Amino acid sequence: MLSRDFLKLAGLTIAQRILPPALMNIWAQAADAQAKGRKVILVTFGGGVRTSETFSPAGLRNIPRLAELQPQGFFYQNCLNQGTLSHFNSTASIVTGNWQRVDDFGFEAPASATLFEQFRKAHKAGPLDAWVIATNKSFAAMGASSQTSFGLPFGANVVLPKQLLLDAINDIVKKPDAADVANRDAVHQRLTSLLEEGYEGVGWTIFKGGRQMDKNIRTTLTRALGEFINGPEVPTSGDELTFFITREVMREFAPRLLLVNFWDMDVAHWGSYSLYLQAIAKTDRLTGMLWDEVQANPKYRNQTTVLVLPELGRDGDMNTANGFLNHRSGDPSCRNTWLLALGAGVNKGATDKPIRHIDVAATAASLLSIKPEGMAGSPAREILS
Amino acid sequence: MPTPPRFDFNHVPVTFAAYFVEQIRGWDTLFPAEQNYFERLAAFLEKAPPELFTPLGQLESRMGVNLRTWPRGGFTLEHVDFLNRNQLYPEWRRLVSAIFEYIAPALDAAIESRTRIVIVLSPAELPVGPDRMWTRLTGRRIALAPPDDLSQYLSLLLTGQAQTNMATSLPSLCASARGPHSSWTIEAGDGLHRLATGGTSVSYEKLLPYRQRVMTEIRKIAGQSEVRGPRELGAKLKTLQPKVNEYSSDQVMGEFIRSTLLNGNGTLLFNNTFVEWACVQALRRARPSCLVASFGIRNKVKPFSGLLIFADQEQSTIIPTQADMFGSYVDLEVFYQYIWQEAGKYAEYRDKTAFLFLAEGMDEMFLIAPESFPLPADKVPLDALHVACRKWLAV
Repeated sequence: MLSRDFLKLAGLTIAQRILPPALMNIWAQAADAQAKGRKVILVTFGGGVRTSETFSPAGLRNIPRLAELQPQGFFYQNCLNQGTLSHFNSTASIVTGNWQRVDDFGFEAPASATLFEQFRKAHKAGPLDAWVIATNKSFAAMGASSQTSFGLPFGANVVLPKQLLLDAINDIVKKPDAADVANRDAVHQRLTSLLEEGYEGVGWTIFKGGRQMDKNIRTTLTRALGEFINGPEVPTSGDELTFFITREVMREFAPRLLLVNFWDMDVAHWGSYSLYLQAIAKTDRLTGMLWDEVQANPKYRNQTTVLVLPELGRDGDMNTANGFLNHRSGDPSCRNTWLLALGAGVNKGATDKPIRHIDVAATAASLLSIKPEGMAGSPAREILS
Repeated sequence: MPTPPRFDFNHVPVTFAAYFVEQIRGWDTLFPAEQNYFERLAAFLEKAPPELFTPLGQLESRMGVNLRTWPRGGFTLEHVDFLNRNQLYPEWRRLVSAIFEYIAPALDAAIESRTRIVIVLSPAELPVGPDRMWTRLTGRRIALAPPDDLSQYLSLLLTGQAQTNMATSLPSLCASARGPHSSWTIEAGDGLHRLATGGTSVSYEKLLPYRQRVMTEIRKIAGQSEVRGPRELGAKLKTLQPKVNEYSSDQVMGEFIRSTLLNGNGTLLFNNTFVEWACVQALRRARPSCLVASFGIRNKVKPFSGLLIFADQEQSTIIPTQADMFGSYVDLEVFYQYIWQEAGKYAEYRDKTAFLFLAEGMDEMFLIAPESFPLPADKVPLDALHVACRKWLAV
């Protein structure tokens, strides 16, 4: 073993001396990719979206980016949520591979090990290799389960951008001169100082990694805030901040496993169909931008699988209390959604064969070369090339 | 005031009985139509074959329902959670639906057959013509002859005369004939309130003091960090009824307003969501003979401060309030459908209801009605339409 390691090291050393630098670079990249393995990004259309407003003939106009990407990946038109139709339990089922029936509002950790814990434990991956970046502010406990053999030591960093945004705006509005809320600089300043005060205050979990690493994380997050506030559009949405933080985390730390939870479309609960449609269009745009980042970022290009799916649907128009506003009826519109798999390791195609939400974690585990413990879901063989 | 029917729920599965026990506990806050329904139901259940409930009883055992997890007569938020999170919840819903499908025809047979009317008004500011209105509905576009003076539109439609004549309105006539809870006006603004006296009147605009008090209370409770989540918040707000000067002393309506604002998603935030949800609840609970709903224009969500959903948006930012015309149009298209569908769920409305969808100033309306609705020929003036509605309701 020792001699093989020595020979490998020697080979690299010699190659550096004899190969042209460009070729050396490609070889190094390939070796690096192989060593680091596949990356997986789970993107959830959190809050819930119906197929009728997305992958239906009438819905495609709301998701132009996903519609354009669909032929490049594998599309499941029946992705079933057979669990509890609350946000926390739905997403927890996706990330654990087991139907979760814990507290609906996130006051309990998932009852079975998350993909993050399985991944970190199996690969002895560091804390910067698994992240949850979630607009839903009740997802603080999404990064690690209550399983004693796993738990927080193997969990993901959890960042809740909207909670930070809410706290900042709340603080500003409480001041006598509420005019500040219209001032981007004032909002930026408050966001930054809240970060300085500590992540715990906004419900985040960021693992300590030494003074330099902590500083690095803080700088990365602060940079994301700057991009969000000073971007070309009026920054109004939690999802946009989620995107900017995700992109900075990808650029700086290149984690191998990421859950990105967009959630603006939960505005449907307010009873405005137009705002719900706008939120879907925004999530589509941000998911497209995330895919663009995967393509542009050499740490992700050609080695990343992106799995996009709604965490649940919403009630159908015909036979429920108030249609798109809610997601508790359990009708097909609420339970049957879709999944789009894109990128490395994914076949092209489409099927009407059902896949369950709990199969997503098992599929991701397979892509990450993990043999997961105690997952009820099965890998989606159709998509794995 | 009638007393609750005496009924022993012990032979009915506990999860089925729970809802009715809870409803009957709040008997004094039920509308006459609801009380009448529960009386019919109680009478039916007393004679119902026991085997009707056998599958549900067996399922309850598999779900883990027992005296410890669910004592008889109990129905709390924890029980709702128990059902929602239970692995067998979809099966439970299916069995409960099957029981209602069995019961419904017998209960519906006792309903008195009367004509009814639902009028849904949209604001003049919607940025589309009649060809793009009401696209989710199945019915007929009818040519109208609106008045030159659009300020007379509502008055001509609802009273048949110009506003200066102070004639009695259709909702008031219906209320006189069939009782105050048989005739409702529900609106975003206060135009109907000014025209229609009598009957039951609900105005989002006129509820402003109560809405502000509720939002202040929510902010206060949330700021005290006593509540862990929406469940606890809901329980705390259960006692926050409107005061007499905020609405009226009518106990039934006070509870209706409270629950519409606090149980209906978004009703505290958006005028049109309130109108839609209040209409749905009125149809479901009070089964009015005449319902006139009037939508408005929703405001745009403000940058940053719009995230603080219970904040007073006028106070929390200097950014001026802007109306969202197109967004309101998109919202209303769905709401027309939901109101129409809701009525269709109840035997009182099936085949006996004329639905009139109008937009102030527009020279067309949309009609869904039995053939016998006495629609005047050609371009219909609003006063003639008013007469047709009165004939239809026989008031």
